Amino acid sequence: MSTEESHDDHGHHLPAVEDWPRGFGEASWWPIVTALGATGIYVGAALFIIGRGENPIVPSIAGPAVAVGSVGLFLVGLYGWLYHAFVKAFWSGDAPGHGNGLKWGMVAFLGSEMGTFGAGFGYYFYIRAGAWPPSELPGLLSSLVLVNTALLIASSFTLHWAHMKLREGDRDSFVKGLFATLVLGTVFIGGQVLEYWEFIEGEGFTLTSGVFASAFYGLTGLHGLHVSLGAVLLLIVFVRALMGQYSADRDVSVETVSMYWHFVDAVWIFLVVVLYVGAVVGAAPA
Amino acid sequence: MAAVNGELALTVLMGLLLVGVAAWLARVENWRSYTPLGSGGVYGGETGQAHHEKPSGLTRWLTTVDHKDIGIMYGLYGVIAFLIGGAMVMVMRAELLDPGATLISNTFYNSLLTSHGITMLFLFGTPIIAAFSNYFIPLLIGADDMAFPRINAIAFWLLPPGALLIWAGFFPIPNLIPAQTAWTMYTPLSAGVGGGNQANAGVDLMLLGLHLTGVSATMGSINFIATIITERAEEVTWANLDIFSWTILTQSGLILFAFPLLGSALLMLVLDRNFGTTFFVNDAGGAILWQHLFWFFGHPEVYILVLPPMGIVSLLIPRFSGRRLFGFKFVVYSTLAIGVLSFGVWAHHMFATGIDPRLRASFMAVSMAIAIPSAVKTFNWMTTMWNGKLRLTTPMLFCIGFVQNFIIGGITGVFLASIPVDLVLHDTYYVVGHFHFIVMGAIAFAGFAAMYYWFPLVSGRMYQRTLGKAHFWLWIVGSNITFFAMVLLGYGGMPRRYATYLPQFATLHQIASLGAFLMVIGGLIWLYNFVVSYFEGPVVTDGDPWNLKEYNLYTGEWEWFDRKLKTTITDGGDEEVATDGGLHGPVGAETADATDSDDSGRAMDANDE
Repeated sequence: MSTEESHDDHGHHLPAVEDWPRGFGEASWWPIVTALGATGIYVGAALFIIGRGENPIVPSIAGPAVAVGSVGLFLVGLYGWLYHAFVKAFWSGDAPGHGNGLKWGMVAFLGSEMGTFGAGFGYYFYIRAGAWPPSELPGLLSSLVLVNTALLIASSFTLHWAHMKLREGDRDSFVKGLFATLVLGTVFIGGQVLEYWEFIEGEGFTLTSGVFASAFYGLTGLHGLHVSLGAVLLLIVFVRALMGQYSADRDVSVETVSMYWHFVDAVWIFLVVVLYVGAVVGAAPA
Repeated sequence: MAAVNGELALTVLMGLLLVGVAAWLARVENWRSYTPLGSGGVYGGETGQAHHEKPSGLTRWLTTVDHKDIGIMYGLYGVIAFLIGGAMVMVMRAELLDPGATLISNTFYNSLLTSHGITMLFLFGTPIIAAFSNYFIPLLIGADDMAFPRINAIAFWLLPPGALLIWAGFFPIPNLIPAQTAWTMYTPLSAGVGGGNQANAGVDLMLLGLHLTGVSATMGSINFIATIITERAEEVTWANLDIFSWTILTQSGLILFAFPLLGSALLMLVLDRNFGTTFFVNDAGGAILWQHLFWFFGHPEVYILVLPPMGIVSLLIPRFSGRRLFGFKFVVYSTLAIGVLSFGVWAHHMFATGIDPRLRASFMAVSMAIAIPSAVKTFNWMTTMWNGKLRLTTPMLFCIGFVQNFIIGGITGVFLASIPVDLVLHDTYYVVGHFHFIVMGAIAFAGFAAMYYWFPLVSGRMYQRTLGKAHFWLWIVGSNITFFAMVLLGYGGMPRRYATYLPQFATLHQIASLGAFLMVIGGLIWLYNFVVSYFEGPVVTDGDPWNLKEYNLYTGEWEWFDRKLKTTITDGGDEEVATDGGLHGPVGAETADATDSDDSGRAMDANDE
């Protein structure tokens, strides 16, 4: 039950001795900077909502401006934190002791994601169980969706392949696999943007087009945000890989990002089955 | 007139808030002198690196990632929120002294009602639990810190802005009024449609603030899961993991699924209110859907709030009964059972909404079933005390108060789980009395038990035991007067959430307010006691102020404290202390003095029976 003695065999509390402020051990400004950035995003949203009312007390630009600035601050905070704690620390060899905790952390985070998506799917199942279709549906089952789905599934395979190659010590293939995954993910996001554009401009199916539109844009939008975050994470891993980091037994962030990416992929497959196919199959003609 | 009074109450609340902030800043400064005992980081062995001092002054608190510092900040935050939420309800109880709307307007009453609930559940309940778990889980399981110290810090720093957003409607900002949706935020009212005033941005700000605090709670839960699973010392196995850690692990599992779901539902509501979506504003029953989503979060939330206090009580009762926890395994199993079952009872909040009767019946069955693991715990606490060598210290009194109030709150709950009874009592004060027995009578009691129990460890000083006991008796009497009156009001048919009422309810309402005022006195005594004892209380010189070794019930956090004290004394005070702790000079000298005097920690506690 000792706290002192256990320091000797847990090396992981030295992630950032060269951090800011320098020389104060674990103390760091990055958490509060990151938290302020995250908070600012909410404040920006709040100001935006206040700014839309009648006789607004803040100009309508205030909300977006604060939000954009805060995203910047948030990213700076994340960068400072991750760079010192992981990227730089990688070279000194301190990081691996942390791996197990990080993997469990990712598992727990993905569990929380089930709750995040659960509310949206709960809403969709709720309306799907009622009279269907609630209004005319847009052309859901296009070749675009099939291609996009194929791309995302393929990206899971390329990522897994890259990870396997890393474990075998084949760094070249690892980097190539990561790059392929990143490209596939980016093309997928482009495909989603294209689909939104076709629906909004082509078919006039927008966020405010009724109960199905809420489900559609809510769920695909939430998923799109997750894929975008995943692409950012993959980019970080990719850049670190180009810097020469990672090896067969030092691959924690490759593994956690893989878990995240596969999860997002699985959510997409579920989403296509219930939201795209499920909305069309069994729907009486409107 | 009513509006003027409303303004007045608002001003008082703002004043309290500012006083709280000022007090906090003052204490932040004072904490510099406090570094040696409670917060670690200065004395040898805490970290194995060359630079292990903490920055001084405010910087230290803004940059800290130490789980003990963060635990203290959570605790202070929770206490401030508790005082504000308490001030809100006292304005309401004063208004309810007579049937008409004499003191404040009905709309202001609704605002207070909404904010009281949200403040107590989200800004006091969850954070005060996080205070104890942050400070003590790593000590109990022999970890050197949380698994992710920086995420821990981020999670805390999201809370104060969350609170400001939630309370924003109360601040003197033009065109912004506080939400009047009640903490359940039922649609369509909260969607801002119709002729009411709930389209105001104050509701949006509250929803955003709630989302922020939810993100914070989720980050915390991920951290605790990773910590308890991966950071345990080698000798701490699943078989001998302490009961508090078990309940925190289960609670974190509940948070993990419940809070993100609420978060999504909140954002869907914000979208409905501002961007023309139709999640909850549709003819297909969106209002009921909100209730399903809200209570799918909301009922687990009840167990999120009650499981760790149960863990605290399960940890403390044996310490003052001189016996090990009776049926330890079954307390753990019942915790896990409650954790699983808690996701299957939500629709018992919706018996009166006209949902399918078959659905209702199944939820009634599960709701009654969840009483079984709860009762298992209650009997385990009682059998632990049975034939034990009871020491009625203040923390023990609060634990016993927990058990007694939990029994009443639990039994009244079993009746509500029965559909026919619920249909009669739904939306009456009976429900209010029932859940206040749990959240105030049990959860807050356990929170205060823990504050008294660990006060010597955190502050290095002892509180005044007479005042502690006065606090307890005022609270146990006050809470039972107030909440019993509420149960009786409910039997009489007094509906919830009303600012005004029929004259026949006046007497019981006055009795309820009387009990509430008793609790305020108790709370003020507690505040005085802790503030004064923190600065002037007798210094604790023994690593075992509760005399636990005698019963072989010593635990890891006191071992840590003992080591800390011993290092202090043998060092005779480190130069860091001399410069940093300007108030008292070298700690070694002072503790030597204290040992000679009779009112030092150990001598006093031996008598605290």
